[in-house]
Amino acid sequence: MTAAGVGAKATWHSVTQDSAPSGVRPQAELADLPCDFMYTIDGLDTTAILGIAAQRLMDRFAQLAVIAAREAVADAGLDQNTWDSSRVAVVIGSAHGGLPFYDQQHVLMSGRGARRVSPKLAPLAVVNSAASSVCMDLGAHGPSLGVATACSSGTVALGTAHQLLRAGVCDIAIAGGAESVCSRLLVASACQMKAVSTRREDPAAACRPFDVARDGFVIGEGAGILVLERPEHARARGAAVRAQVSGYGASSDAYAAVAPDPDGKGIERALRTALADADIAAGDVGHVNAHGTSTVINDLIEATALGRVLGDHPLVTSTKAMTGHTLGAAGGIETALTVLALEEQLVPPTVNLDVPDPEIPVEIVRREARPATFDCAVKTSLGFGGHNAALVLTRG
Amino acid sequence: MIAAEVVSALLVQRFGADPADVTTETPLRKLRMDSLALEELRLLIEDRLDIDLEEVALTSRDTVGQLVSAVDGKVAA
Repeated sequence: MTAAGVGAKATWHSVTQDSAPSGVRPQAELADLPCDFMYTIDGLDTTAILGIAAQRLMDRFAQLAVIAAREAVADAGLDQNTWDSSRVAVVIGSAHGGLPFYDQQHVLMSGRGARRVSPKLAPLAVVNSAASSVCMDLGAHGPSLGVATACSSGTVALGTAHQLLRAGVCDIAIAGGAESVCSRLLVASACQMKAVSTRREDPAAACRPFDVARDGFVIGEGAGILVLERPEHARARGAAVRAQVSGYGASSDAYAAVAPDPDGKGIERALRTALADADIAAGDVGHVNAHGTSTVINDLIEATALGRVLGDHPLVTSTKAMTGHTLGAAGGIETALTVLALEEQLVPPTVNLDVPDPEIPVEIVRREARPATFDCAVKTSLGFGGHNAALVLTRG
Repeated sequence: MIAAEVVSALLVQRFGADPADVTTETPLRKLRMDSLALEELRLLIEDRLDIDLEEVALTSRDTVGQLVSAVDGKVAA
């Protein structure tokens, strides 16, 4: 579920075929801020999809998670009436959870007093409510948790799900990330940090990963949920396997609240761990869906670490110019896109990359999607606070 | 009368109750109104009718009619 398309098929079509994003636009409540635009999913009738009774018990980020999870479960051919629900885990990451709800309720309390605050704020705005909402919607009774590692939350959720499956505590794990933070409070802070693009005159060109003129990320809403399954379980039911999670690595920079380790040692450690976990050589990786946020610092440090570990042969891309930076959802969305890249043998372009930064030492795919032959792909994510994660995916 | 209309409308429009199920005798729990939903409903009624229901005890065992009577009492006051 992204601003590029409602559902996996529509999002994949947009990131591989469109030359410019259509889902980024100015937001009225941000009008006086240096960054007044955001990627949003418009025209999504969540009430029609979820129903009034269920929708009122979900913050928007949880609604997106539930809708994405339904699509993933249906795509996997799973039947909720026959699965052993006690063996179904749910692991969903989010950086900020229901932050806009907090923001809105604080404004309400400031103006009208504490007695007007919604009783739903405490239980629904918390990060774990995406996972609990998916559990309730699908009737999943296995272990569940919310993951909060800032912008790597979605990837860490998938890695954690992978580890739960390996440990044998579940047969199926529904995992990924969800985020929806159209919050004046958050964007004001991001502006103060100088972390977001201020290209107000041309929002569609604002997110430009690896480009010399990049000036910050652009926030987006979305959800990316995948179904992971123990190989034996998938084989036994004759499931169509799209790809395999072959390895996972995570690390902490232990360096700074925002800036990544300047040498990229943290993301390098996560990537090397993931490759070792998968028992795959660096030379076998054909494609990387990078974190590639469009900030000056992230893109250079991440690309330098990728080059150091993988060399210059993998085809690297960032799909964020089409989806926006969906923060805790990014890892889920971009892992789904990496799975589709493996299936289709097609690497999406890095849209808006007009003039590649000459210091970037890896090959970035730009202008149009590039057909390629590869059996192994990598997804990397970095989060504020130094939370790094990498997944190694192989063809199903 | 106003209270009954407001309560019924909120139960249907905001909580997804089937209009056919919203009768005077229907226990609120049968409309899936749990403790959280009742507290949300309390605020909505207060805002809609500009009354204070803070002292009114609400439980899922109450019927729609009992809730309407309690609201009516506050409207009249």
